[in-house]
Amino acid sequence: MCKKLVQMMQGNVWISTNSLGFAQSMTLLLRFQIQSYIQRTMYAHGTSGEQSNSYSRFRGLRVLLADDDDINRIVTKKMLEKLGCEVTAVSTGFECLSAISHAENSFRVVVLDLHMPEIDGFEVATRIRKFRSRNWPLIIALTASAEDHVRERCLQIGMNAVLQKPVLLQGMAAELQRVLHRTGDGV
Amino acid sequence: MERNPLRRQLQMMRKSFFDQGYLDDQFVQLEELQDEANPNFVEEVVTLYYRDSSRLILSIEQALERKPFDFNKLDAYMHQFKGSSSSIGAKKVKAESTLFREYCKSGNKEGCMRCFQQLKKEYATLRKKLEAYFQLARQAGPMETACRPK
Repeated sequence: MCKKLVQMMQGNVWISTNSLGFAQSMTLLLRFQIQSYIQRTMYAHGTSGEQSNSYSRFRGLRVLLADDDDINRIVTKKMLEKLGCEVTAVSTGFECLSAISHAENSFRVVVLDLHMPEIDGFEVATRIRKFRSRNWPLIIALTASAEDHVRERCLQIGMNAVLQKPVLLQGMAAELQRVLHRTGDGV
Repeated sequence: MERNPLRRQLQMMRKSFFDQGYLDDQFVQLEELQDEANPNFVEEVVTLYYRDSSRLILSIEQALERKPFDFNKLDAYMHQFKGSSSSIGAKKVKAESTLFREYCKSGNKEGCMRCFQQLKKEYATLRKKLEAYFQLARQAGPMETACRPK
C-alpha cells in the first residue's frame, strides 16, 4: 500500500535486503517542486491574513502617517498595515497637526516625512512637542538624508527616532519596537 | 522548476530586471507588501508612480528651458523624483537622478541637460519592461496555492 501511495506521488520506495534475505533498509524517494521566490515570500507573510508572531505586538497600534509624496505614502501605509497598525495617512504638515489636535484621535505614533512643502517635518514636530509631552505621541522621522546633523536636530526637537528612506519593512518594525519599548509601552 | 510555462517566463523576465540592474531590492519590498487584501499592489504602485512622476518630468523639462537656469528649483524637483523612483526600486532611474543632482550642485547646465536625456530614456525603458511584465502576469493567472496537509 505504501508503495502505491508513493508511486502516486511520483516517487518510489523499496527495501534493500542483506545477504541473508532480511530487510536491512528502506529507501523512500519523493519529488518536490521548489517554490519560486515570489511564492515563498508570499507564503512567508501569510496567505490568509495571518501574520507572524513578531508583528502581533503592533496590532491595533494607532499611527498617523504624514508624507506629501503619493508613492511613499502608499507604500509606507501598506507597510505599517502589514505590521498590524491602524493607519491614518495625510499628505501635509497642516493635516497632520489638525489630526493630532482632535481629542478623539489618540495616535500613539506619528510617522513624519521631514521634507514636506509649506510646513516641514521639523516644524510639525516642534509644534507637537509644544502641546504634548516629550514622549507622546512618539514621533518617527523619515528622511532621505543620511547626515548626522539631521538626526541630531530631530532628537533635539524631541522626535523619538529617525529612519532613512527608502524604508524597509524590517527597519520600520525594528524602529517601532525600539521606541515603544523605551517608553514602556512595548510588550 | 516552475511547471507553468508562462510562470516560468515571468520568473525569467523578473530575474533579468535584477540581473541587468533595472530594479533593486526596493521592488522586492513592494512584492512583499502584496497580499490577499491588495493582490495587485505592485502594479498599482508602479502605475501610480508613472502617472505622478510624468508631471514632475514635465516640470523639469520646462525648468530646463527657462532662462536663467534655476538650479535650486531643478534640484528640488529631482529630489522629489528620486524619492518616488527609489520607492519602486527603479535602480537606473535613481542613479541618473543622483547624477542630475550632482550637476545641479556644481552648476553644470550641460551636464544637467545630458543627464536628463539619459534619465528619460531609462524611465521609458523601465516603463515598457514593467508593462510587459504585468501583462504577462495577468496572462499567467493567479498563483496556485499548495494545499497544506492538516
